[in-house]
Amino acid sequence: MSLTYVPFVLRRVLLSLRDLLWTHVLTCGTMAMTLFVFGGFLLLQENLHRLFHGWGQQLQIFVYLEEGLKPSDLATLQKTVQAYPEVEGIRFVSKKEALESFRRDLGAQSGVLEGLEKNLLPSSLEISLKKEYRQRTKVEELASRLKGIKGIGVVEYPQEWIEKLSLLLIAVQWAKWIFGGFLFVASLLIVGSTVKLAIISRKDEIEIMQLVGASNGMIKAPFVIEGMIQGLSGASLALLLLWFLLIFLGARLPSSLGILMPQGQLYYLDPWQILSLLLLGWSLGALGTLFSLRKFLTV
Amino acid sequence: MIQLYRVSKVYPPNYPALTDIRLQIDKGEFVFLNGPSGAGKTTLLKLLFRAEEAVEGQIIVSGRNITRLHGAGLSKFRREIGLVFQDFKLIPYMTVLENVALAAEVVGTSRRESNRKAFNLLRELGLKDRYDALPPVLSGGEQQRVAIARALVNQPALVLADEPTGNLDPEMADEIMRLFLRIHQQQTTIVIATHDTRLLQQFNLRVVSLQRGCIVGDSKFPEGGGEE
Repeated sequence: MSLTYVPFVLRRVLLSLRDLLWTHVLTCGTMAMTLFVFGGFLLLQENLHRLFHGWGQQLQIFVYLEEGLKPSDLATLQKTVQAYPEVEGIRFVSKKEALESFRRDLGAQSGVLEGLEKNLLPSSLEISLKKEYRQRTKVEELASRLKGIKGIGVVEYPQEWIEKLSLLLIAVQWAKWIFGGFLFVASLLIVGSTVKLAIISRKDEIEIMQLVGASNGMIKAPFVIEGMIQGLSGASLALLLLWFLLIFLGARLPSSLGILMPQGQLYYLDPWQILSLLLLGWSLGALGTLFSLRKFLTV
Repeated sequence: MIQLYRVSKVYPPNYPALTDIRLQIDKGEFVFLNGPSGAGKTTLLKLLFRAEEAVEGQIIVSGRNITRLHGAGLSKFRREIGLVFQDFKLIPYMTVLENVALAAEVVGTSRRESNRKAFNLLRELGLKDRYDALPPVLSGGEQQRVAIARALVNQPALVLADEPTGNLDPEMADEIMRLFLRIHQQQTTIVIATHDTRLLQQFNLRVVSLQRGCIVGDSKFPEGGGEE
């Protein structure tokens, strides 16, 4: 089909969009729901990934000190720990600082700490590790060494449950493909049915066009373009809904959850993911139309 | 212009619609295909614009073998002929002008030029005041004139018409026939399938008679055996 037919084909697309508006809107809405679910998983995966990555970057070992440690003993202890090859830095957190930090993390709920004694929390050392030692086995090994040092009470490190939570990320990834794939196929069928309806409603017109010598391309191209428009509109609508969802959830996120989220905010899809979702919608519309044309339109 | 050599058509499962048809129509001829219902007139016409495919034989139109024509070749061939049907085959939600211009746009004429050509033709056929009407509001005769305008918009050398007067009263049928005669005067080859014997008697033109899928008479060759 040569370029001289482009205005003709586009005019036929506009006529169809006008004449079968509600059918197109329905298909577009169905595709939007499919892509919304898929995009929702993508959004969840993205935020969990960032969250776990953030936690991994902040990996520290918390060493809680025993009561009554003399300043000189504390200095020796700090020197000993700092000398370990795994250790990148140490920060001493006094009882007072620990309480202040806890109060900040609790935010609006910090009132529960009122009236409690100021020495509620123990003083501690926050030990940050060099990159090459941020692995579970190495952290465990260091932790057991630390436990043997005089003056150190409890040693805690979050590595184990970060790794367990990473399994959740994998589950989300799988769910995205399984649910997304299922909905993709369902959408393909729905797009196919819409095109079938459009073919039936324009059966006479198609026959007449064939009789006056319209080529296959001239007859099929408007359907394919309509499918692409439906797909892109569906994807755009899904992206908009996801954006509203994010704003809605962001506004309702309890401030106490800030403890779990170092960055303290939810993230929208990155430009590549947005482009992928648009392309997915576009191809969903085009493929659904092509399958249906192959099945129901003989030219 | 048209040559059919030993053409047969069988509809499934085993209904012989046409058997061993041999026919030649010269450039500029006006031919009626006549016969009762089921004689094979429409099938023969459909073979000529390749809406049906012959199971045997060869069909040559304007020097081109169209027997097995498909795809782009078929579209291109259809652009060179004009088709008129008993049920008019107009798109009901497009105006008269758009219906006629559609055929011109399909061959790659710009929209403006297609509209101009369509309007001129409609004026010639006495429909200039109806150009923006929708087909369902027109009378049968007017609708058929629109269909003829569409068939002529690309100035084809061959016009095929299947029972073009079948849905019209005698007065309107005569008017449509006079229109075909006017077109014929411009050296356009015209083939009309009709069962209306009144028309055949009224217009003294070549008549090819069909019965049960076979040619049983040709007024051009009254003694038979003229087409080999």
